[in-house]
Amino acid sequence: MSEAAKAELKRPPIVSGASKEGGHMPEFEKDYCAFISRAHAEGGELAEFDFGGQETILMSGPDAQEVFFRTPDEVFSQAQAYQVMVPVFGPGVIFDATPERCKTQLKIQVDALRYQNMKNYASVIAQEVEDWISDWGDEGEVEILHAFHELTMHTATHCLLGKEFRHSMTEEFFSLYKDLQAGVQAISFVDPYMQQPVFAARDRARERLEEIISELVATRRASGKEYGDALETFMTGTYKDGSHLTDTELTGLIIATMFAGHHTSSGAGAGTLLEIAKHPEYAAELKAELDEIYKDGEEISHASMRAIPKLESFINEVLRLHPPLVILMRRVMEDVEYNGYLIEKGKTVAVSIYESHINPEYFPDPHKFDPHRQEPERMFAYIPFGGGRHKCAGNAFAILQLKAIFSALLRRYDFELVGPAEDYEDERANMTIRPKDPCILRYKRRTD
Amino acid sequence: MKVKVDLDLCQGHSVCLGECPEVFDVVEQEDGYPQVVVLIEEPPEELRKKVMSAAMFCPNRVITVED
Ligand code: HEM
Ligand code: SF4
Repeated sequence: MSEAAKAELKRPPIVSGASKEGGHMPEFEKDYCAFISRAHAEGGELAEFDFGGQETILMSGPDAQEVFFRTPDEVFSQAQAYQVMVPVFGPGVIFDATPERCKTQLKIQVDALRYQNMKNYASVIAQEVEDWISDWGDEGEVEILHAFHELTMHTATHCLLGKEFRHSMTEEFFSLYKDLQAGVQAISFVDPYMQQPVFAARDRARERLEEIISELVATRRASGKEYGDALETFMTGTYKDGSHLTDTELTGLIIATMFAGHHTSSGAGAGTLLEIAKHPEYAAELKAELDEIYKDGEEISHASMRAIPKLESFINEVLRLHPPLVILMRRVMEDVEYNGYLIEKGKTVAVSIYESHINPEYFPDPHKFDPHRQEPERMFAYIPFGGGRHKCAGNAFAILQLKAIFSALLRRYDFELVGPAEDYEDERANMTIRPKDPCILRYKRRTD
Repeated sequence: MKVKVDLDLCQGHSVCLGECPEVFDVVEQEDGYPQVVVLIEEPPEELRKKVMSAAMFCPNRVITVED
């Protein structure tokens, strides 16, 4: 854009209260939901804040969000905004790959999650749930954050990476994975290569994970067997020149898929179960629906789960109020005009999923949990999975998984809180939303 | 009945193809995700149910049906 054209345009309003050091980062780290709401209230559709030195423009409301999601990568770059993930995924993977190789990697990733592959996943997930609850007995207590972390680790690895991988996983794998997750937090966006114990632990975990995964891949190559799962899709995927993913890329892609799919699914699962325990009246509706669908002893399968409308609406409402990913970003690669304002090259644009989901225009009485809500007609108002070309590639898998888990669970058990509801508030740390740890529920075998 | 697709939103999940292969195909692209191709823009009435299922179950709400 020419300097003259730029001079014609207004600049997005800047959010008040930046500190000398770190800009708005300290306030953001303390409670980013509250900060984002304040920024939105002050600035409206566009509000600029200082995210640890990075000038970041929050785009709010479905119109601005639509522009965020529809603008092509060459202009709003996802890769440039998520460089913080590079040390987690490893060199040459996704955000560190050339645009062309990155596109192929994303395609290989989505191939593995296609409809045709999904059919087997449903019964695998149901089986994992059965294993999980096999020693529960008639009643007891369960800490659901840990339980869902483990369950979704098992289901994700089992569905995506095969049975052998799933059963060779050790305590070590869990703890390495935790270290990787801890390596992504608000300060990572300032500089993910800083000398910090969390980053050192992240790098050690990445290295060791690569060893473990490479070994598994080597075993598979040697065996010459066919598996028909996601790992196979990764191993056989080809670039345009006919070459395959290198071992480092393959490992990185597995980590990237796990990373995208695991904490999100785990948080959504725990959030769903918690809302079920909080709302016995809605839980009764879900149980009635499931009992009807499975009344003839039908297996949990892709077909039986195709449409479970009450459960789906319930999950949608959980993802509205407790979106597992709360803020999405892109780096601005070219000057863009929006409604007479300049979105300048070099800045970052952001969309807040949480803030979008508490907009009273689309969600009346927004803080109330109400699974009977209608999803708004307006596209880009309800965005738990993002939108546009980078919309969650695993969204169908994620919903299928949640439906399979709760189909199995709710037919067996009832759940209730063990303490007052205030003890179960969401915690907003590390740029995620999830129930406060520990989150203990009481379960009882259904007798009705 | 007229079928429209918004290719900005399509990621090639192929649910549409699973629901109604008469009307939808999903083809590899030079770059990036495979994308949906509409084989019959104005499908016959007897396919309505299948087309509506494709529109409803497409995870990305790519497909719209106009009367
Ligand atoms: C309830 C669970 C989940 C939620 C709420 C969720 C949410 C999201 C969101 C909001 C994005 C967009 C990021 C952006 O625009 O910057 C995304 C991307 C992605 N998700 Fe998910 N996700 C979930 C589960 C999964 C699962 C289970 C998988 C895979 C097994 C997965 C794989 C991916 C991938 C590969 C991308 C990147 C797509 C691309 O950039 O083209 N997600 N997810
Ligand atoms: S139209 Fe929908 S279901 Fe069909 S390929 Fe595109 S995203 Fe997938």
